[in-house]
Parts: sequence; structure tokens; C-alpha cells
Amino acid sequence: MTPETLFALSGPVAMLGWLALLASPLAPRAAQMLAAVIVPLVLSVAYAGLILSHWTDAEGGFGSLTEVAKLFANPWLLLAGWLHYLAFDLFVGAWIVRRARAEGISHGFVLPCLVLTFLFGPAGFMLFSILRFSLTRAKG
Amino acid sequence: MTPFAADLRPARFWTDAPAYAALTLVVGLTALPVLAALVLDARQFQAEPVWLKPLKFHIALVIFTGTLAFYARFMPEAARQTAFWRWHVRAVVVSVIAELLWVGAAAMAGTASHFNTSAVWAAVYPLMGVLAITLTSGALLMGVAIRKAALPAGFRLSLVLGLVLTFALTVVTAGAMAGMPGHFVGVPVTGAVLPVLGWSREVGDLRVAHFFATHALHGLPLVGWLMPARTGPVWLAAGLYCAAVAGLFLQALSGIAVI
Repeated sequence: MTPETLFALSGPVAMLGWLALLASPLAPRAAQMLAAVIVPLVLSVAYAGLILSHWTDAEGGFGSLTEVAKLFANPWLLLAGWLHYLAFDLFVGAWIVRRARAEGISHGFVLPCLVLTFLFGPAGFMLFSILRFSLTRAKG
Repeated sequence: MTPFAADLRPARFWTDAPAYAALTLVVGLTALPVLAALVLDARQFQAEPVWLKPLKFHIALVIFTGTLAFYARFMPEAARQTAFWRWHVRAVVVSVIAELLWVGAAAMAGTASHFNTSAVWAAVYPLMGVLAITLTSGALLMGVAIRKAALPAGFRLSLVLGLVLTFALTVVTAGAMAGMPGHFVGVPVTGAVLPVLGWSREVGDLRVAHFFATHALHGLPLVGWLMPARTGPVWLAAGLYCAAVAGLFLQALSGIAVI
């Protein structure tokens, strides 16, 4: 098992969750099961395994940007960082879909937020927060 | 001279044209990451920070869409219920967002959004012209609808003329500007500009006429609000306003700075 193999596997796994969210109006509960529970947990198990097995052989830490750069110089921990992104971005994507459904925000507004969360996590969260606030404030 | 006691209740801002109200909030709040980029990005384009122009667009469009959301109260109720009106509002909303994405993308790429002659940007430019006209038509349709509103004649005429002239004068001034190589007439040497607005103090700047053209929807209703009963002063003010915009445009065309 190399970091490259795991990396190549992780992409399609996360993508499964994102596709479920994009198509979520068709099967809302199944989409949540996949995108908020199964896929993030599979990624979390892999993440925890990487930390348990490789944390002690890494240099660096969280104290400065230089230390963080050193940490991510280790390909196993770089992969762990990547899985962290994949798991949490997807979890936030699933939360966006849930909030939108609960507040009657149409899926058309959710789609660009999901794309942005998939590509640039926090930017998508910000866009959804702005849309949610604006649409709730202005009601006809 | 008694100003017209117009219905100015703030709550109606959110309910009369909710799509414009929501858009105003979205455009205003998305100015925050643009402001952050302005602070973090050291790149310059034509001697200005690359994110200054997107920020100006956010501010200008907040004022424009916010004004439409506010003026929607002066439309007859029935005019706000038609399917045509709703679809038109959607088209305006999409155009505003597309315009901001385009100007933002150009800043990200560190290139020109307007007057860009390189292949891809030049190919999209005519489409952006169509979107710019669509977004400005938000004022036109509201002005036309207000013609039938139950309001004092002078105040109503000032809203109608302000909104219609915002469309007409903007399409003429901005359209003519778009057909030229740039917004300057002449070549600036020192780069002296007016604070905030950024207009050249050395050479002709076509953006001045565009600015006043687009603000007709603020200037003229002020006259009608102060003199609500009579239409004469409003016609006079509209005539003077058009002459002033034409004068500013010709001044810039002759390469003379505004002040």
C-alpha cells in the first residue's frame, strides 16, 4: 500500500458522496446516508489509521507555518490532510443540503454552493451562508 | 414646497421585489471576500490594484439593485404579479451575477474585463454587453410600470423619467464607450485621478457621463418628491439632466478632464 494508491482510491469514494448530494432531490434520505454518514466515516477510518501509523515518524507540528510545511512533507501525512479535506468538505456539503431542504431553499441555489464547497470548501460554505441569509431576509 | 409624504416604510424593501432585495444583500455580502482579496493581492492592473474594479462593481450594483428593490413599492400591485415581470426580474438577477463573475474572473486572471482584445475575453465581450443591457432594463420596466401608479403626477413622472432615462442614457453612453478602445480619451501622464471615483483629472474620461446617466433614477425623483403636484418642473429637470449628461460625454470625447 502506497500513499499514491490510497489517494487514487479516495477521490472516487468522495465523488460518490458528492454525486449523491447533487442528485439529492431524487432520494434525500439515501443521499444523506451516503454523504453525511457512510463516505465521511470510511474516509475518517482511513484518516485515523494514517495518524495512528505515521504520526510518530513525522517531523514538524502545528506551531508555525514552517512546522506545518514539514508535517506535510511526509507523504503519508499529506494524504491524511487530503482525506481530512475530503471528509469534512463532504460533511459540510451534506449539511448545506439538509439546511436548504429544511428552510425551503430550492436546489437550484444549492448546486453552485455544492460545486464551490467541493472545490474550495470554506468558499462554498460562505456562499451558502450568504444565500441563506439573503433569501430568508427577503420574502415576498 | 411640501415634499410628498411617500410610503417609505423600510419593511417593504424586503417584500415588494424580494428577488431584488435578496440580490442586494448577496452582492453586498460577497463584496467582503473581494475586499479581503484587495488587501491580500499585491498585483496591479493599469496602475490600480486588480480587485479595485470588482469592488466598485459590487458597490455600484448594490446601489442599483437596492434602489430597484426600494422603488418597487411605487409600482401598481398588479404589475408586480405578472408572469412577465417575474421572468424579467430573474433575467436581471442572472445578468447582475454574470457581470460580477466576469469582472471578478478578470481580476483573478489579472487582466482586463472591458476593452480586452485577447481571444477568449474579446469573444465573450458582446455577450457581456447583452447582459449589461438586460440588467439596466430592470430600471426601464419598472419606470414603464410606474406610469400607471396612483401617485401625484409630478412625483410619478419623476420616477418614470428617472428610471427610463437611467436605461436610455446608460445604454447610449456605456454603449458608445464600449465601442471605443478604452474609457480614457487621451494618454494620462501623471495618473492624477479624483478620490473614490477614480476619474482622470488629466484626460477625457467617458465613465463620468456613464455615472450620471445611471444615477438619473436618483436625481430626478428628488425633484418630483420636492414638487409632487406639478409635472412642469420635472420635465425641465429631465431636460437639463439629459443636457448635462450629453455635455459631460462631449467634454470627455474632446479629451478634457471633468475637473
